[in-house]
Amino acid sequence: MQRETLDVDVLIVGGGPAGLSAALRLAQLQKQHGGAQVSIAVLEKARDAGAHELSGAVLDPSTLAELIPDFRQRGAPLATEVHSDRVYFLTTKHSLPFPIIPPPLRNHGNYIISLNAFVRWLAAQAESEGIDIFTGFAGQDLLIEGDRVVGVRTGDRGIDKRGDQKPTFEPGVDIRAKVTVLCDGVRGNLTKELLRRYQLGRGREPEQFAIGIKELWEVPRDRIESGTVMHSMGYPLRHDEFGGGFLYAMPEGRLSVGFVVGLDYKDPLFDPHVAFNRFKRHPLVARLLDGGQMVRYGAKALPEGGWNTVPQPYTAGALIAGDAGGFLNSMRLKGIHLAMRTGMLAAETAFEAVRSNDTSAAGLASYTDKLDRSAVKTELYPVRNVHQAFGYGLFAGLTFAGLNLLTGGRWPKRLNGVAGYERMQTLRSYYGDATSADILASNPASPSQSASFPVDRRLTFDKLTNVHYSGTAHDENQPPHLLVHTEVCESICGPEYGHPCTRFCPANVYEIVHEAGRPRLQINASNCVHCKTCDIMDPYAVITWVPPEGGQGPQYNGM
Amino acid sequence: MILLIAEHGRGELNRATWETVAAAQLLAKRLGGLPIKIVVPGGSDPVAQELAAAGVGDVVTLANPALEPYTPDGYVIALATAMASLSPQFVVVPHTYQARDFMPALAARLNKPLITDVTALAGSADAPSFLRPMFQGKLAAEVRPDGDPPYFVTFQIGAFRADQVQRGSSPANVSTVEVAVDRSAIRQTPEAPFQEAQRAVDLSQAPRIVAVGRGIKSQEHLPLAESLAKALAAELAASRPICDSGWLPMERQIGSSGQTVAPKLYLALGISGAIQHLVGMKGSRTIVAINKDPDAPIFEVADYGIVGDLFEIVPAIVTELQK
Repeated sequence: MQRETLDVDVLIVGGGPAGLSAALRLAQLQKQHGGAQVSIAVLEKARDAGAHELSGAVLDPSTLAELIPDFRQRGAPLATEVHSDRVYFLTTKHSLPFPIIPPPLRNHGNYIISLNAFVRWLAAQAESEGIDIFTGFAGQDLLIEGDRVVGVRTGDRGIDKRGDQKPTFEPGVDIRAKVTVLCDGVRGNLTKELLRRYQLGRGREPEQFAIGIKELWEVPRDRIESGTVMHSMGYPLRHDEFGGGFLYAMPEGRLSVGFVVGLDYKDPLFDPHVAFNRFKRHPLVARLLDGGQMVRYGAKALPEGGWNTVPQPYTAGALIAGDAGGFLNSMRLKGIHLAMRTGMLAAETAFEAVRSNDTSAAGLASYTDKLDRSAVKTELYPVRNVHQAFGYGLFAGLTFAGLNLLTGGRWPKRLNGVAGYERMQTLRSYYGDATSADILASNPASPSQSASFPVDRRLTFDKLTNVHYSGTAHDENQPPHLLVHTEVCESICGPEYGHPCTRFCPANVYEIVHEAGRPRLQINASNCVHCKTCDIMDPYAVITWVPPEGGQGPQYNGM
Repeated sequence: MILLIAEHGRGELNRATWETVAAAQLLAKRLGGLPIKIVVPGGSDPVAQELAAAGVGDVVTLANPALEPYTPDGYVIALATAMASLSPQFVVVPHTYQARDFMPALAARLNKPLITDVTALAGSADAPSFLRPMFQGKLAAEVRPDGDPPYFVTFQIGAFRADQVQRGSSPANVSTVEVAVDRSAIRQTPEAPFQEAQRAVDLSQAPRIVAVGRGIKSQEHLPLAESLAKALAAELAASRPICDSGWLPMERQIGSSGQTVAPKLYLALGISGAIQHLVGMKGSRTIVAINKDPDAPIFEVADYGIVGDLFEIVPAIVTELQK
């Protein structure tokens, strides 16, 4: 088959905060140094810039101020400055405010933003610098020659579900680049492939993830003051479950409400969406939402492992930046500024390598030095062990976090973690005796506290209704973009874990239908919101997320 | 005189032209018996003969090699010339993709009014008007053309019935008129036509729909819903789980990943009313829901709701309808 090819100097895969900061930094370097034009292309799988961007979000503007010093004059959409921080410990009925706000959760000088709006603005800045952003094109495969990455192949369009060409067929394009910067986000499909192929995670701690579920609400304007940031710990999570809720109040009664859960829980019947619903029904949250209206829904995974889980972020011809590389501070619950910073440093590395005509692994290795000398390490290194400490439970984690703070992160030993999905226990080992495990396995609407929760369609919704508000859309007649070894589902995963995919997926993609008394996994791929949780959390690691046809997926306007 | 532009391609008449013949006859009658003339751009002989055989009006073919294959510029030039000599009062065409392509240009070229996607006729003999949908069918606007004729009108597919064409007793005259078309004024070069796989059923045109959901429980129970659909002369449709299971083809799926419909009557059997389904049917004129669960969201949009077992209620309705 004849494929079109496009040659550029630097290809950036992913038009989020990391990718667009990389592109803007490249344009700046070009202006500073003059000389031969370094050609740039940015690939983005969403139809429009920002459509797949989801975050809390509170932005630490430090990196933005360096990248675009006049960001205020240029109209950066920063909804409001944070002027009030609150942290609560929740019990079933009550909320105990923390008397002092733990320093990592102090947000003075930060901004509440819509990441969707922010990224749209960043994209406009990049386009005004003459950078080509190819929206609607997903990076499907890495192009590899010898031992180096030479670019990316975009996905074919117009393939039907049997894999045959439709009349609208268009083959993907090979974009060849001297340096490919992978900013494909948390559990990016290309980064995953790169890490596997070159074993870039060797000698590092296993990656750790969490899932964040968020709704955007419109509530009466006098309900909560704009600029208020609230975080919670405790209920509805149990002591061995990591995570908490957040509420960020923006002007005009817009309220972000969300819940983050570590993807390392043990209970196979745990459902993050149920935890989110319970959080919303807690009196502290319910009184804020009551009478308001949910206007958007979304979910995304977060890399939470920290410094010790960051892989070697370069190989011949490729660099990794942003969430894809795990650059997120889970203590501060912030990653946007680190994504931007690593994108900028990757751009500097790529620029030097292209100019000196050495894009080998050695030529790109200076990226690590740049990271080590930058604010990325200053911020992430001291808290490198904290997430792993929570592996010993909430109280051990909090104690460690406190000690860590007092000592400035001086702790001689590296705390080891295990991949979160390996911590999930079977029904039998979690729920004890065989009979209850059998009962739970045969009854998807199980009596477990964490597996089900009635919805009232006012404050709480079922997943299917929520999915509608994500705006997600996929052509039904295309090859599945969730590759699942389904033979494991019925024979092993069902009896042992009770099909946890039906619970950890926040978008009702996985459904068990009973046909002739036998369970069959039905994959509603068109519901997918691209959060990657299934790729991360399924206990047998048999689910692989690949991009659907470009331009499809959620529409996170205002998220 | 009402001038009807026939649509044809690859030597075959587009069937939608017959619907427009029916509409033109109703319009002619309303205006006190105006004659109808049919013009076939690009002069395809079998098409002209087929139309003439029906005896509904004179058939004129506009002959010029530049009219085959179709280009919007070629049609606009040829038809604008023909208008000058024929001076019709109304120019009517089916609201096809091709009409959407050249009709606005033709009307603009002659600076005459164009009323598109018409579903019904209204007004009086002196002041005829046309109904056309607005806001995705939520409103019907009555539009009257202004200024001097000719007035250009396109008729929605399915709004008029081809089988109600009044056929004449004897074949009509067929004549050929040579038109001048300056080839250099045609700016388009057509490629071979391509067609997406066609939908076998177009639920959006059905006046009545019986839709089934998970509550039907198994494929063996589908004939029950079919019997109700037959008794109501309705189309059978379904919510997503039914089509996902393969019990009905995907083209009968209603909702955000299927078709959007707004029939006069929508009967939901055992459909809980997930929002993805509701967005595909909430524009229906009258919604009747039968569901066991009184809290099912479908009842929030239903005009009439029956809480109960569809396996008892549906046979009872069928029996009543058959009386």
